[in-house]
Amino acid sequence: MSDDLLQGHLQELRRGTVVLACLCRLRHPDYGYALLESLEASGIHVDANTLYPLLRRLEKQGLLTSEWNTAESRPRKFYRTSPAGDDLAATLTADWDRLTTSLHRLAEGDRS
Amino acid sequence: MTSLTDRYIWAAVRTVPEAQRSGLEPEIREMIEESIDVRLAAGDDPASAERATLTGLGDPERLAADYVDRPLVLVGPRYYLEWLRLLKTIAFISVPIAAAAVFVVQLFTTGSVGGAIGSAAATAISVTVHVGFWTTLLFVILERTGSTEAGMEWTVDRLPELPDGSRDGRRSELVASLVFLAVFAGLILWQQVRPAVRAEDGSGIPLLDPALWTSWLPWFLGLIVAEAFFATWIFRRGWSWSAAAVNLVLGVAFTVPALQLWAAGDLLNPAFLDATGWDPGVATEGWTVSTIVTASVLVLAVWDVADGFLKAGRASGAASPRRVLADH
Repeated sequence: MSDDLLQGHLQELRRGTVVLACLCRLRHPDYGYALLESLEASGIHVDANTLYPLLRRLEKQGLLTSEWNTAESRPRKFYRTSPAGDDLAATLTADWDRLTTSLHRLAEGDRS
Repeated sequence: MTSLTDRYIWAAVRTVPEAQRSGLEPEIREMIEESIDVRLAAGDDPASAERATLTGLGDPERLAADYVDRPLVLVGPRYYLEWLRLLKTIAFISVPIAAAAVFVVQLFTTGSVGGAIGSAAATAISVTVHVGFWTTLLFVILERTGSTEAGMEWTVDRLPELPDGSRDGRRSELVASLVFLAVFAGLILWQQVRPAVRAEDGSGIPLLDPALWTSWLPWFLGLIVAEAFFATWIFRRGWSWSAAAVNLVLGVAFTVPALQLWAAGDLLNPAFLDATGWDPGVATEGWTVSTIVTASVLVLAVWDVADGFLKAGRASGAASPRRVLADH
């Protein structure tokens, strides 16, 4: 399989997981770049120019709330998962688990 | 704060509505400054850290569009098919009509075939551009106003009919062709045998030059018989590319000598013109009967040949869906 094709399929598979990761991670409020680095540390790579607009969209959808922290030298926008975001995260996680189970079953069925 | 970052932020926020700018500016600034800090901590010098960060963020207008969910397509997948269908429909209807109308009007007012073809081509191009522009503009607005798709959803009622390649569909075509050919041959014979115009001594004066009976008239009558056989062949076999080619040959074999005779003035009987005092070459109101006849014959001939190829194309396209359907 060519590298481009592989990257395309991986990207397709991972699409949407960043949303779920953000909703879970932001149960503890944080600002964009700290979130990006902690996701990176957990093995979820996302570019800054993707993550920042995504956070703003999720806020617009009512899944995140935000607050500017001006106490420090640099103003930073802190995001936190809203109750609606929490609900969505629970639903998405359940679906993710269901898919994982199904895929494992399919993979094992192949072997037998 | 250096000017590159400021210029980047300005380039991004100026593309969004005024009301959203003040909210967007600090967000983008935070993102850029945090990214630069990470690079500085890794040991980059300030100038190259800023440059690398902004390069990594990419086109500021794209970034701003991401922030405010602005569509980055002229007509997206939601409306593309509707746009294409409407464009094709309007273009296929309006361009030929406009071009043909201009061609006929120009031919009659100027009498120049070349000039009329030029004007028709110019009209066809300009109508195509207009149709393309206004149709696209309509969909660009639809795409941006996010109107509902009322009346635009696809339903099964919009499925095309399978092409009718059956014999029954071609019967009326055969009858029309045969009737037309019979009338045409009848008129050629009738004008000789029972001329409408009489000389003073009571003898008939045929419309066509009687000298043609030993040269071109048998050729034309032969072609009429050949056309009748051809029409029967089409009825039995249906249109095909070879049928369209034969149709082209028949059309050329008829039109070229007919127009040559007409242009040279050898077609009509000189005695007939003398007796009626009519001269098709004399211009009335800027155009002559001669030009009208030439134009009409040309248009009809071109239409007939084009129609043959259209039907052949449709028939060859029709064969494939039936084969595909039969395979399953």
